[in-house]
Amino acid sequence: MTEKQGLPSYVKYALILLLSITLILFTQSIKLVFNPASTPVNSMTIAGLASLWLFSVIGIGISQLLNKTHIAVLKNFPILGWVSITSLVMCLLFDFFVTAIQAVDFLSITTPILTFAGISVADRLVDLRRTSWKVAIVAVFVFIGTYLGSALLAQFGLMVSGN
Amino acid sequence: MKRQLIFLLLFVLFVITTAEWIGFQNITIGAITITLLPLVFAILITMVLGMKFFRQGFMKQIYSKANVSFASKYLIFIMLPLMARYGADVAPQINDILQVGWVFIIQDLGNLGTVLIGLPIAVFIGLRREAIGATLGIGREGELAYISEKYTLESKEGRGVLSIYIIGTLFGALFFSIFAPILLDLGLRPEALAMASGVGSSSMMTGASSTLVARLPEMESTILSYAAASQLLTSFLGTFTMIFLAVPLQRFMYKTLVRGDQS
Repeated sequence: MTEKQGLPSYVKYALILLLSITLILFTQSIKLVFNPASTPVNSMTIAGLASLWLFSVIGIGISQLLNKTHIAVLKNFPILGWVSITSLVMCLLFDFFVTAIQAVDFLSITTPILTFAGISVADRLVDLRRTSWKVAIVAVFVFIGTYLGSALLAQFGLMVSGN
Repeated sequence: MKRQLIFLLLFVLFVITTAEWIGFQNITIGAITITLLPLVFAILITMVLGMKFFRQGFMKQIYSKANVSFASKYLIFIMLPLMARYGADVAPQINDILQVGWVFIIQDLGNLGTVLIGLPIAVFIGLRREAIGATLGIGREGELAYISEKYTLESKEGRGVLSIYIIGTLFGALFFSIFAPILLDLGLRPEALAMASGVGSSSMMTGASSTLVARLPEMESTILSYAAASQLLTSFLGTFTMIFLAVPLQRFMYKTLVRGDQS
């Protein structure tokens, strides 16, 4: 691994998270330029971004602590999950966090992520050549299968429960 | 290397701006409307520009080895604020969600659809052992770990799961962002589609739930909270569903299908 000048990993994670929320702020501002009717940027937005940053840091901390345990379920539970749970608990305890975080436009969070996702797969595009067209066809049905399966069961469940 | 990283960040800002400038685009084909969001343009632009053909001169600096590995190594951390956002979406709806909690659990079994629909198709078009790896699930980390432990990744099963992994990584979010609203147009309820969005991959869930939100902005909080809750549940139950249900079901179906095929 090519680590940058030996910054401790938690500092690096904190900086990357800072980059992430900065990009969200940038996206939300740009969105406003093109569409003045979209979610405004105000002090609540900044508070919301700070909360997102904080919960992410806490989630990383929990995940790293649990990595030392020997309980497989806890050890293998993804960081992403811990961050959601941390945020959920904090938002249940304090309404302020809900108000603040919802001042951050949802779709502005997604654009920077998918930008990074696109760059991250750049070197794997060549791997596509190693997969056969048959598997590609199967992939389509596998994706349809999981989504349609869940959607139909959910629809059925909601109907039965009278919702 | 430092300078390359700055180029990368400037490029990211440029892509975001372009994607947001293109904005929402609706393509209507008959009764079905395909909604393309800025996030779709962001991934398309970055993937197309990342092809060998475009990687010359300045672009070579942006898509340098260090930058691409930076993006893939830290992608998960870039995603964390999104995951934190889901907490704020679930919290106000927690009572509604707990009320229909059992629906969340049974819809998780819908993930067996990969075997039920995928396996017969795979066997039909002539795949055999690859089909085991390719249809056990949507080829995320859980299936990858299971298959590599049981068959190794060099085996045919391993090649199957790796292929799905690659295809899912490249096109998963794109696929679900188009497929979810198609089912909406076919008459499925948004709540059901939101729950189904928790397929176990965060980018795929984002693809599916974001387009649903774009189509039904007034239901944003319901859609996002249902999707996030179901995603969390899949992270907890996914491994168990795979080992205790998907694997035995797949083994049984595979035997039946392949035997019928030979006679």
